[in-house]
Parts: sequence; structure tokens; C-alpha cells
Amino acid sequence: MINKLTINIESTHSQFSLAINQCISFSGIVGIFGHSGSGKTTLLRSIAGLNQQTTGAITFNGNVLLDSKNKQNIKAENRNISMVFQEPRLFPHLSVEENLDFAIKRCRHSQLDKADIIELTSITSLLNKSIRQLSGGEQQKVALARAILSEPKLLLLDEPLSALDRKSKKELISLLRTVHKKLKLPMIYVSHSSEELQQLAEKLMVIEQGKVIKVGNIHEVFHQLNNTQLIKQQTSLTVMIEGVNEQHGLVKLRVAEQHIFMSLEQLTDDDINTMMQLSSLRCFIFASDISISIIEPKSSSIVNQLCAEIKNISQERSQVLITMKCQQQEFFASISTYSLAKLSLSINQNVYIQFKASAVRTLTI
Amino acid sequence: MTEFSDDSLALITTLKMAGLTTFFLMLIGTPLAWFLAKMQSRSKVLLEAIVALPLVLPPTVLGFYLLIAFSPQYLPGQLWQEVTGQQLAFSFSALVIGSIFYSLPFVVQPLQKAFEQLGTDYLEVGAMLNAGPLDRFFTLVFPMTKASFITAASLGFAHTVGEFGVVLMIGGNIPGETRVLSIALFDHVEAFNYSQAHTLAISLVIASLVLLSAIYLLNHQPKTSDKDGKLTE
Repeated sequence: MINKLTINIESTHSQFSLAINQCISFSGIVGIFGHSGSGKTTLLRSIAGLNQQTTGAITFNGNVLLDSKNKQNIKAENRNISMVFQEPRLFPHLSVEENLDFAIKRCRHSQLDKADIIELTSITSLLNKSIRQLSGGEQQKVALARAILSEPKLLLLDEPLSALDRKSKKELISLLRTVHKKLKLPMIYVSHSSEELQQLAEKLMVIEQGKVIKVGNIHEVFHQLNNTQLIKQQTSLTVMIEGVNEQHGLVKLRVAEQHIFMSLEQLTDDDINTMMQLSSLRCFIFASDISISIIEPKSSSIVNQLCAEIKNISQERSQVLITMKCQQQEFFASISTYSLAKLSLSINQNVYIQFKASAVRTLTI
Repeated sequence: MTEFSDDSLALITTLKMAGLTTFFLMLIGTPLAWFLAKMQSRSKVLLEAIVALPLVLPPTVLGFYLLIAFSPQYLPGQLWQEVTGQQLAFSFSALVIGSIFYSLPFVVQPLQKAFEQLGTDYLEVGAMLNAGPLDRFFTLVFPMTKASFITAASLGFAHTVGEFGVVLMIGGNIPGETRVLSIALFDHVEAFNYSQAHTLAISLVIASLVLLSAIYLLNHQPKTSDKDGKLTE
């Protein structure tokens, strides 16, 4: 069964008004993207039942959570929805294990095994520690395990990685992906970081000033956002892993029947193991990292060279965003108006796109 | 009955009064402090001022109005008499009720401050883990604000032990019923019995000092470092 969340709500605040009318089907993790103050956290809190100003209707799999017309508002503790917040919010008077037990004791239909979840979230070594002894990443892992152990029908994640360093972020992203895959738990992940969402979400909803401005497949929405100021212009990709060249620190990837290479600054054994377990990888290339050549660059040090056709040229001030298609994959390059004039680029023209192996970025490894 | 027995009786009456008052203060003060901490309307200021009144009013003012209210001519006194068949003014019950009013800010204020400082973050997590309001209060709020509960109860108890003006106005001076330590001390001084007065006074000073030291000790637990060098309580 595909889980379905329908939202038709309004919430008025001093700074902005939220007005959302959407039906979300969960075929993977659903991402909500927006800048600070756009209303994404208010939306999440409304779904959770933590925002008292919200009016309208919310249903999840046909169960009414909110129906203002009929004065029905299911309390947060009865919605069977759990939430991981930006700060871990572990109970300070309880140990790590007691924090987990708090969730288990109040779980209405306990089906998950505590030991399994502890292993899944890699927190076995933390169980007997005081929460004050844990790092930020460890605390967030425990918060995630605690939320899972309450066995919600829907898990909401409100910027859970925003306060973590890059290493912890990578670890948690991998963990969230594993949790989603193994437990098939519907998740909504809210963030202002396009990088995190690009790694996790299948579907993306973009919110600006309390309204949904874009919704759809993660790569498609990111590509649509390239013409806005909301994200750094980029090509968003799901690529297949073909192999690892340890000697040169390169990973061979396949995209649209062509090969590209990604470099790893410090390839550890863990990275190689991770790589071997994965079949595909989410990565992105900033438009500013892609250059265009109208002749085949045979003697360049740049390892990634693909043949593509120009599909669109859009100019903003002195910069031009070129949309190109390499078989079925879109690529975006940002060049100057000077280069546009110099190369006399036009739509439907065949060109060569180039980018360094280090320009292919990911948060997975 | 000897003087020493009278003082012992006064001590028992005082402890009984302070104990019962503290019990009722915690019962009434906790929800009142919670309500004030969560209240957002403008009338919060007025309610806070009413709770804090005993801090600034001369005890005799409070005692005077309570005496009037407790008398059989007025509704509270009449109702009490109808229900219990006894007069409220100059009774032990009057002392307890008067003490509740008199010591209310000493219980409500530390609790309100603790609830406000705790905020809503942990309560929201509790709700997200299926814990209802009462469950959240007893398993999250209470353990996290335990020190403030002890402070509130201790201050309420100590302040009730030390009251004079209110008990003098509404309790009279009936040995074994309404004669408390502070009144007994006053009687000794009036009778120029300074040695007995001194014994009572110094006992009260030492008991109060011990109690307050215990409260401050509880609120200033020494910080220790764990193996990672982080501070823990």
C-alpha cells in the first residue's frame, strides 16, 4: 500500500501565512526545501499536531488528523507520528537506554525489536552513557532510534543534520537511507540544505513564503530551481557505480550510458566498503564547475568529457545558464556572456562538456 | 503544665501547621505555577501580582482581612461553620488557610520560574513519543525540575514556621491549638523571660540556617568532569 498524506491547511503568523494544499504519496523519502522563514517547519509541526494555529484538514492514509470544519483535532500524542528535531532533545535526566525505553513503554503496537533498532542505528556502545557524554552526531542517532522505537506511521525530520559536522552528516544520511530501506517507514525530511535533500529525497516539495512553488522528482525539481535564486545552479544525478580505481583515487560511474569519474580525496577502506555495497549513488555537479568546448578536447587533463546537445540558453546579467542533454541526462553549465559570444553557442548545437573528477560531489562517501 | 511543656506544644503545633500548609501549598501551587508559566494573556500580570501580594503587604493587613473573612458574619466563615459546625476564626484550620495565602508566593514563584525555563521542547518530544499531558508532567517535568520542587516546599515550610503577624491576627494564642513558636517567643519576651525566649529564638535561627543551607546545597551541586572533560552534575 502506498501511504498518502493529504494536506489542505492555513496557518497565520505575524511574519507570514502558510497555505498548503497538497497530496503526498510516499514512494521514498519526501523532501521539503525552503529557506529560513519559508514555512517548512510550520508545515511539519502542523502535520505533527504541534502547531495550534493551524486550521483546515489533514488526513494520513484516510485517517483524519485535523478537520477544523468538524472541530476535530487529534492530539499530537494520539497521531502516531514521530518527529526528530533540529536539536536532539534527549531527556537529560535519563540515560541513552532509558531514553529509548521511554519510547518503547508508550508504543501502542510494539512490533520492532529494540536490539535490532540499536544495531541498525549503531548505538550499542552508547547505551550506558549519560547523554552529556555524547557528541552531536551520536545524540542525533539516539534521537532517531528513539523516534523509530515509538513505531510511528510517519516520521518527520526537521533539519536533523543542520548542527552536525560533515563527517557526522555523511554517517547520518547513510543511516537514514538504511532505516528507510529496511523499515519502509514513510519519512518527510525538511531542510534548507539542497545537498542533504539531494542525497535523501525521492520527491521534493519547495516552499516559499508559505506556499508550495514546485513539487516533483528530486532531480527534476533541482533542475527547475536552477533558474531561481534558491539554490546554487547544479546538475543533480543518480549514477551507477562501476568500480573503484584505488591507485588513482577515482570512482568510475555510469550515467546515461556514458562513464564519468569522481575523485576521492582520501579513499579509506570504509569508503571502498561503502562503495562496494552501493549500486547507485546520488551526486551533483555545480554549473560553475562545468565548461564547454565546441571541439573535442583530446589533450586535456580534465577527465570527464561528454558530448551533449544544447537545449536552452538563459541569460541573467553577465552569466548564462546553458542546459544541455547528453542522451537522456540533462547537464547545466554556467558560463559568461563573453564565452557565449566567443563560442557563438546556439540551441541544438553539439558541444563537449568538461568537468574535473573533483567536481562530482556527494555526501554519501 | 510547665513552661517547657508549653513550648513543646507550640513546637508541635508549629510543625503540624507548617507540614499541612506545605502539603496544601504544593497541591495548589503546582497547577497555579504551571498555569502562570503557560499563560499568555495580559491578565497574567494581575494574577502574578495577586500571588506576590504577601511579599510586600504587612502580615497584619492580610491577617486583618482574613480575620474578617473567617468570622461567622461573612460568607467564607459562614460556609465553614455550616459544613464543620465550628467557628473558623481562632482555630487551627484558620492558621493553615491563612498560612497558605501568606506563603503562596514562596512556592509558586520558584516553580513558575522552573516551568518557564524548561520551555516546551522536551514536552513536544514527549508528545511525539505518545506521552499524554499527565504522563509528560510526572515523567519529564517533575524529574527535570525536582530541585525547584524541593526549594519551593522548603521555602514554603520555613516561611510558615516563621510567620507571626497573620497567626496573631487569626489564630489567637490557644496552647496546643493555635499557639505557635513565634507567638510563644513573643509571650516570653513580654513576660521578661529572656532565657526561654533566647532558647526558642536561637533554636529557630539554627533550624532555619540548616534548612536554607540544605536548599542552597541542593541548588549548587558541585560540577564534576567526566572522562571526556565535559561538565556533568
